[in-house]
Amino acid sequence: MVTIVAPLGERKPLLSGLWRYSRGAGISALIALLCFLSLYPMIMLLYGSLHSTPPGIPGVFNLDGYLAIATTENLIVLANTVGISLVKTGLALVLAVLLAWIVARTDTPGRGILEVLITLPFFIPPILTATAWAMLGNAQVGTINLAWRWLTGGDGTLVDVYSYGGVIWHMMQYSTPFIFLFVVDAFRAMDPSLEESSRMSGATRWQTFWRITLALMLPVTTSAFLLSFIRGVESFESAVFFGTPVGIEVITTTIYHSITQRAQPDYQSATALSFAALALMFLLVLLQNRLLRGRSFTTVTGKGYSPNITRLGRLRWVTFALCIAFFMVSVALPIGQLLLSSFFKFFGFYQADMLTLDHYRNVWENSGFWRAFRNTLLLGFAGATATMALGGIVAYVTTRTRWRGRRLIDVLAWLPWMMPGMVLGIGFLWGFAILPHAIPIYGTLWALLLAYIALGTPVAVRVTSAAYQQIATDIEECSRVHGAGWWQTLGRILIALAWPAFAVGWVLIFFGIMRELSASILLYAPGTEVLSVVMLKLWVGGKPEEVSVIGLVMLILVLVFRWVQLRFIKKRISTL
Amino acid sequence: MPSVTLETVGRHFGEVKAVDAIDLAVEHGEFVTLLGPSGCGKTTTLRMVAGLERNDTGRIAIGGRVVSDALADLFVPPDHRKLGMVFQSYAIWPHMTVFDNVAYPLAVRRVGKAEIRDRVTAALRLVEMDRFADRPAPALSGGQQQRVAIARALVFEPEVLLLDEPLSNLDARLRTQMGDEFRALQKRLDITTLYVTHDQEEAMALSDRVVVMQRGRILQADAPEAVYRRPASRDVAAFFGAPNLIDATVTGCRTDASGVHTLTVEGAGGRGACRAGQPFPAGTSVLVVVRPEDVALGQADAPPAGAQPAGDRLAWTGRVTGGVFRGSRRSLTVDAAGLKLNVECPATRAAAVGDMVTLLVDADNAWALKA
Ligand SMILES: Nc1ncnc2c1ncn2[C@@H]1O[C@H](COP(=O)(O)OP(=O)(O)O)[C@@H](O)[C@H]1O
Ligand SMILES: [Mg+2]
Repeated sequence: MVTIVAPLGERKPLLSGLWRYSRGAGISALIALLCFLSLYPMIMLLYGSLHSTPPGIPGVFNLDGYLAIATTENLIVLANTVGISLVKTGLALVLAVLLAWIVARTDTPGRGILEVLITLPFFIPPILTATAWAMLGNAQVGTINLAWRWLTGGDGTLVDVYSYGGVIWHMMQYSTPFIFLFVVDAFRAMDPSLEESSRMSGATRWQTFWRITLALMLPVTTSAFLLSFIRGVESFESAVFFGTPVGIEVITTTIYHSITQRAQPDYQSATALSFAALALMFLLVLLQNRLLRGRSFTTVTGKGYSPNITRLGRLRWVTFALCIAFFMVSVALPIGQLLLSSFFKFFGFYQADMLTLDHYRNVWENSGFWRAFRNTLLLGFAGATATMALGGIVAYVTTRTRWRGRRLIDVLAWLPWMMPGMVLGIGFLWGFAILPHAIPIYGTLWALLLAYIALGTPVAVRVTSAAYQQIATDIEECSRVHGAGWWQTLGRILIALAWPAFAVGWVLIFFGIMRELSASILLYAPGTEVLSVVMLKLWVGGKPEEVSVIGLVMLILVLVFRWVQLRFIKKRISTL
Repeated sequence: MPSVTLETVGRHFGEVKAVDAIDLAVEHGEFVTLLGPSGCGKTTTLRMVAGLERNDTGRIAIGGRVVSDALADLFVPPDHRKLGMVFQSYAIWPHMTVFDNVAYPLAVRRVGKAEIRDRVTAALRLVEMDRFADRPAPALSGGQQQRVAIARALVFEPEVLLLDEPLSNLDARLRTQMGDEFRALQKRLDITTLYVTHDQEEAMALSDRVVVMQRGRILQADAPEAVYRRPASRDVAAFFGAPNLIDATVTGCRTDASGVHTLTVEGAGGRGACRAGQPFPAGTSVLVVVRPEDVALGQADAPPAGAQPAGDRLAWTGRVTGGVFRGSRRSLTVDAAGLKLNVECPATRAAAVGDMVTLLVDADNAWALKA
């Protein structure tokens, strides 16, 4: 008897000690990885901003970078950045609230389809619509202006996208569906009796809409406004396409130009500016937290309400037309332009004798395109998978365990959210360059992959932790009681139950990678270009027709993924 | 002139006839309750009066003014009907204080600041909520929210007050208290009230008149005692508690000077007299409704003291087959020649299972319906 009991009694502490040891090691590894992805580039920004020479070259430490950015031009840049983002967010908010109201609260025909159409622009890479709009709204040969002249017979100019208006308009096409996704659910989920009691109190429809409906949605709209504003500050494509040619610069384009556009790339001041941008983002996030603290009314009761539907009568065709018009100008028009210019020798000269398939042939035979295509798909699949795996583990540790260090993990995984792609790119540029040569990340696909993972992790954590929180803890405990180990529980139960969220997150991250330009443009090297980089280079190199062809290829990818997402993952996401 | 009139008002949702051509008139100052099982169309009826739902058929008039006429395509929107309404969820606006909630109906009518202050304070005092005027609305308990909702509905002195299950979200004790308070307030203000509930006790306790509804139709509209003790049909009888429904055959019928019909009936295990709403010829089968608490228990062949003379009551003899002690009372089941009767008697009545007993019911408490 004694011989049987003794080994058991001994083995137990050994096993649990081993478990604790491996858990500690796992946590440490996770923290180390997250530090490398988020904290490290931030520290390297500070380092680089004080370092007098470009990455990898010996230099001294001084404050020249900060002195160099303290100029009046940069004050204008700051004013541009904030001003443009404020205006576009404000306009987009008004439009998004209107569209969301139409879709959620009126009897406008075809609302299900309209919702899909209105949110579609959000999934199209901005570089694609930027090239299209550059060809649509060019003051001289833009299609819109050509059509205008043809219609009026004069030689007037209707639109010029190379202007503040153009930058704002292009940004709005993304902000509107983004805000729409937040607001439409708030419209739907509202307890109808809150509005009905207003009508019973003698308020008209209009008074009710302003004083009750919109007032109740204020927390949601404020938070959507701030998020969209922050994304506007981070944005790169709209300004580099429509602002730079006419001297309208924002923070991201200024950083970009001080590295790529000068004879002597000025890394120190670019990095100092990036660090300043980081500080600005930090302030914005603080502001966001302050404004939103404790400002959520539960207007949603558990009951399955059908929201109040306003009968518009004949007016519903007007609202229908408005939704369609938004889709037309934000999706159909740009796509039409890409199609059009891909078949003509030069865009702007649409005559029968200029028709050609050369651009398709050129792209087909361009090995650079195929390499970028492979790179984009490879990075998309690998990046989305790795990001979701990391996000899934981080979310599990932070929402489902009481392990020490989980708070730190949560914060580390969230940090990249504050970093615009351009800023993160600069941080990694420094970070990869000073690594020992035995770790050759710089100039490889790894550099892009790591940046994409860092940028995607906050989204991945949010999507998966929201899903975990909906799964009751007792299901998990039950599984563990019945003998499943920790890994088995994670795999079998949680992933099995949370897989729709994983799929949604995966597709989101994939879209994010496909559209990413601002970090990629800094981190790519010959051979590791991605599609967005190739498009920008071809555009700058004066081949807009070939850009159109590549844009169409990209668009097909987007539409296929979006279709799969809508078809197979019923749950719509509004956590972006 | 009635305050609210409904003429053949109906409404359907797809195939479902939620409300099926009902007629109803509510007098000025009257408290009328729509009562019926869940899904019978009470809320839809109330919402049609409110103007939150359009009626497909019929006409609705409030204070003599037609506010909705399906045929004439006339429809006055809710904000022009001058009605106060209390919702089941109270619908207190969470982004406002208590004061602002109650002031809202006045504010949207552009009443002056000073007058708003006076009238809101008065309305809040009415429901004893004046101390909470500056509270944010989410910081209120269920009962307090309900008071605020009532104050908000009353503040602009509506012609009619509509309430949709206002007490159903409160716990049982508070429900009785709030109900009694509200009834007192309604009487004091003499305000016409249309009230919806599925709780029969609530309906009885509060109303001047109870309208019993089923599947979109009105079964009976009468004073609480009348619908309880003189139900118009088996469905109405069955809706209140668990009455004994006893098959019997009429042996005689007489109608006295005041128009009361008294039948003599005979059935399994018993015989005697009962009242009816109409004369029945001898030989017809009827259904006699007897409430368990109206049955008096006597020892076999020894009627209890103070009972009606044998000619004006129903009597059965049977054996006790079950008994449950419920504290203040005792529930017995009695088998009278195959007929199973439920009896509620004082808990002190010691009737053991197996005892032979006589069951007596005053003719006034037995009500015959067409079988
Ligand atoms: N907006 C609606 N759409 C479809 N069916 C409805 C709607 N409102 C009510 N109904 C249906 O009408 C019937 C009556 O509902 P209601 O008036 O709410 O009943 P009650 O208030 O008596 O519980 C129910 O069968 C309900 O399902
Ligand atoms: Mg109801």
